[in-house]
Amino acid sequence: MNRLKNSLNGLTVVKVLIFIFFGLFMLLPLLSVFVVSFTGEPTNLLGALTDPAILNSTIEKFKNISLDNYKRIFSNAGYATALKNSLVLAFTVTIIIILVCIPLAYGIARTKMPFKKTISALCMIPLIVPTFISAYAFIIMFGRAGWVTQIYNALGGEGMLLNPYSMAGVVAVQVFFFFPYALWPLVAAFKVSDISLEEASQNLGAKSWFTFIFVTFPLALPGVISSALLIFTVSFSDFGSPIVLAPKDLNLLVVEAYREISGFFNWGGAAILTVVMVIVAAFFFYLQHLFTKGKNYGSVSGKPKQQKLIENKLLTRVLSGYSLFIVLIPLLAMLSVALQSVATTWGKDLLPSGYTLNHYKTIFSTSMGNIQNSIMLATGALVLSVIVATFVSYFVVRQNSAKLDFIASIPLVVPGIAFGIALIQTFNTAPLQLTGTALLLIIAYTIRRLPYMVRSTMGSMRAIKADIEEAAVNLGATPLTAAITIVGPLMLPGIAAGSVLVFITVIKEASVSILLAPPEWAPMSLAIFQNILRAEYYSAAAMSVILVALVLILQAIASFIGKKQQL
Amino acid sequence: MGSVRIEKMTKSFGDFTALHDINLDIKEGEFFALLGPSGCGKTTTMRCIAGFENPTSGRIYIGDREVEKIPANKRNCGMVFQSYALFPHMNVFENVAYSLNIKQLNASNPIKQMGIYGRLLSSRLGKYPADIRNKVMEILKYVELDNHADRLTSELSGGQQQRVALARALVMEPAVLLMDEPLSNLDQKLRHSMRNTIRKIQQDLGITTIFVTHDQEEAMSMADRVAVMDKGHIVQIGTPTDLYSNPSSPFIADFVGTSNILEGTVEGEENGFTVVKGEGFLLRSSTKTKKKSVDVIIRPEHVKVEAADSVIDHNETNVIEGTVIMSTYLGSIVRYDVQVGSYQLIVDTTYSSGANIFEEGKKVKLTVEHERVLLI
Ligand SMILES: Nc1ncnc2c1ncn2[C@@H]1O[C@H](COP(=O)(O)OP(=O)(O)OP(=O)(O)O)[C@@H](O)[C@H]1O
Ligand SMILES: [Mg+2]
Repeated sequence: MNRLKNSLNGLTVVKVLIFIFFGLFMLLPLLSVFVVSFTGEPTNLLGALTDPAILNSTIEKFKNISLDNYKRIFSNAGYATALKNSLVLAFTVTIIIILVCIPLAYGIARTKMPFKKTISALCMIPLIVPTFISAYAFIIMFGRAGWVTQIYNALGGEGMLLNPYSMAGVVAVQVFFFFPYALWPLVAAFKVSDISLEEASQNLGAKSWFTFIFVTFPLALPGVISSALLIFTVSFSDFGSPIVLAPKDLNLLVVEAYREISGFFNWGGAAILTVVMVIVAAFFFYLQHLFTKGKNYGSVSGKPKQQKLIENKLLTRVLSGYSLFIVLIPLLAMLSVALQSVATTWGKDLLPSGYTLNHYKTIFSTSMGNIQNSIMLATGALVLSVIVATFVSYFVVRQNSAKLDFIASIPLVVPGIAFGIALIQTFNTAPLQLTGTALLLIIAYTIRRLPYMVRSTMGSMRAIKADIEEAAVNLGATPLTAAITIVGPLMLPGIAAGSVLVFITVIKEASVSILLAPPEWAPMSLAIFQNILRAEYYSAAAMSVILVALVLILQAIASFIGKKQQL
Repeated sequence: MGSVRIEKMTKSFGDFTALHDINLDIKEGEFFALLGPSGCGKTTTMRCIAGFENPTSGRIYIGDREVEKIPANKRNCGMVFQSYALFPHMNVFENVAYSLNIKQLNASNPIKQMGIYGRLLSSRLGKYPADIRNKVMEILKYVELDNHADRLTSELSGGQQQRVALARALVMEPAVLLMDEPLSNLDQKLRHSMRNTIRKIQQDLGITTIFVTHDQEEAMSMADRVAVMDKGHIVQIGTPTDLYSNPSSPFIADFVGTSNILEGTVEGEENGFTVVKGEGFLLRSSTKTKKKSVDVIIRPEHVKVEAADSVIDHNETNVIEGTVIMSTYLGSIVRYDVQVGSYQLIVDTTYSSGANIFEEGKKVKLTVEHERVLLI
């Protein structure tokens, strides 16, 4: 009895609370989606625990469990096509990105190409911009009245160079805005792969292209495969570009799932799509994990061997020109959004017919609320994730809680739209009716972005030696007080870095915002999305510029903190 | 109040038993050393007393209280860690004041607690009351760090950090002071002066102290009593002189100071002395024993070296003949390695200037008094 009391100290209580948090807001929703995908109708698992009547009806539903739902769905041409299309999309994007990135990565890692610094810096742009804004930017550029289309027509082309409202459009946006995810791991792979083997090959008289294909590339192959798997998951789970660009006749899993929920309230259908999404994403994530285990392509911070960078004029110039083209397109896309945000009207001619700040005025007078909402929601998610992540890393590092480590990384594999659907389904009735509240939105953001935060806090936690904490306990502090007064302050740099990252990603978040945000809590991303749907392009553009500016400022703060930490 | 008693304590990690049936009885105010080779379980014993590990079985009493159910933060054992474990984000003053803050925290209402948390997180967020301030400064003065109070601990030398750790543990007026190899991170010279500092403080305050070390010289020169540990067992407990002159096993004889250990067979008794014979020697010892085969322990400094032609009365003392293999001049003493039968004996003789040193290859006579031949 007394032992029990001893073990029930403050920290144990916190640990239990953390498990309850994950259990209630992540595992239960996922489980309940899984159940619903079989029963085909809403199932209130939480209610079943508290209310006997609901329990009975739930048991009734369980009795009717069958694979019928799945059979029906997969004989439904729409869903099968959606899965097929999503896989094709992710596959195409992956292949193209890898092909696009290999020369770019090679140029950065191995040559002295001109403008290398500029090119590297411009590669940051795609990471800053949320995909629904990039998709919208492509409409401004490539749409029927887009300026690229106009130039193309002036040069004698017919119709549109690239129809943004098509599979090709979605592919193009994803390629140009996801390529940095593959680029940096590839650069690292090219940097670490053993250069002496290549030299040996060249000494034996092999031509350089031969060396590249048969020696350099195979050496970098593990890095390439791992990046490819990462891109596949990212592309497959992306909601922003398909929801803006996919035409009615192009079924994609994420869009289809969104329509089932928001248009038809078809719980069974949405649940099945969610389950399929999670399984596919988890599978590819798992593959990638297998591939990177024990290797560290992503973060080569140690000094790579001194390599002689290639100086061949022709090669470096061609590579530089090619790289500039790749990185210029995201930049032009963003400039187009910026230009649209100050245009009176734009579309008849190559350039806007006039310039005005009215769109910004409108935003600051009518949509200030959205900006505030974004900041408040992001702050809420930040605070919650700091608390959760700090304790999670404490338990993982100090108490070797492998279970918690695993649970906290689950959000990485669940696509946002899938997680949103799971939450709506679970919390739209009593006993915990949270759908439509800001709280659920904050919780959703928190869980989705928790892995970033945990990674960051875990790093600083590992750097704190256990005996420092024991010293505090020895001096009379309870483990909880020691955690608050000693461990917490020492983790501050890690927490700060993670916080900025969480804040940024929450502001950029589209899928969860669009699904879960109630009108009175609409954040900027939802406002932009709605403006695009209503064809209010100019306000959408102005709001997008504000969002990107906000992200840029925060990113600058983050890198400032990062630099200070290194000192 | 400050005594420590351990009864039949064992500690296992999985299927590895780190401590076997440990029994200790440490008196109030005693300076007690735990001595033993690396991995013998010294730290584990100490962590069990401090409450960081739970013994698998057995009991620990601090004062008269059985402490099994008392969590580490309520045991009132001041611990000085081997790595010092100073709080790197706090300055010297804040480090030392930590336990006083915590004490106050536990005795305050929630509103006052906020203030205390504030000053724990940053001294700018809360003022220290005068009593805490005075007490900390007093102890800092005591360890001669009062004019370093505002320094960050990373800006201190090793010896200063060591004293901060000591002050931090002492300020809470612990029932027991636990020190885990506190001097092992210091250089030779500092180690000697810190030995004196620690011993003096312990004497002044009369605080029960358990001192872990693997350095026999440290244990012997500082402690009132020493427990020698080996592979999770306590092999002998005694005062330093006890251990030195009456080691209970060859292991201790070897571990506590340098020893010559010879294997011998008891031949019988003669004039009240036990006669032992071995390869190349015949000795008489005042140790009584019932055993047949014994270990003969002779300390290097208890042997005298005489020229081979000197005349010695064999009834007065033992005489062994040998050959000098090596002589090493160590300042005030000369150490000889002497071949006796199949053994190489170590012999230390005090060197007075002008005396002649036996060269290598020289035949010599070694003499040892009967009382100095130990049989175990
Ligand atoms: N947490 C643990 N899990 C498993 N084995 C442990 C643990 N802590 C200690 N041990 C083992 O118990 C034995 C005693 O360890 P302990 O740290 O007490 O040795 P020590 O006498 O302090 O040695 P040193 O002088 O090297 O500090 C060692 O063999 C060690 O490997
Ligand atoms: Mg130890």
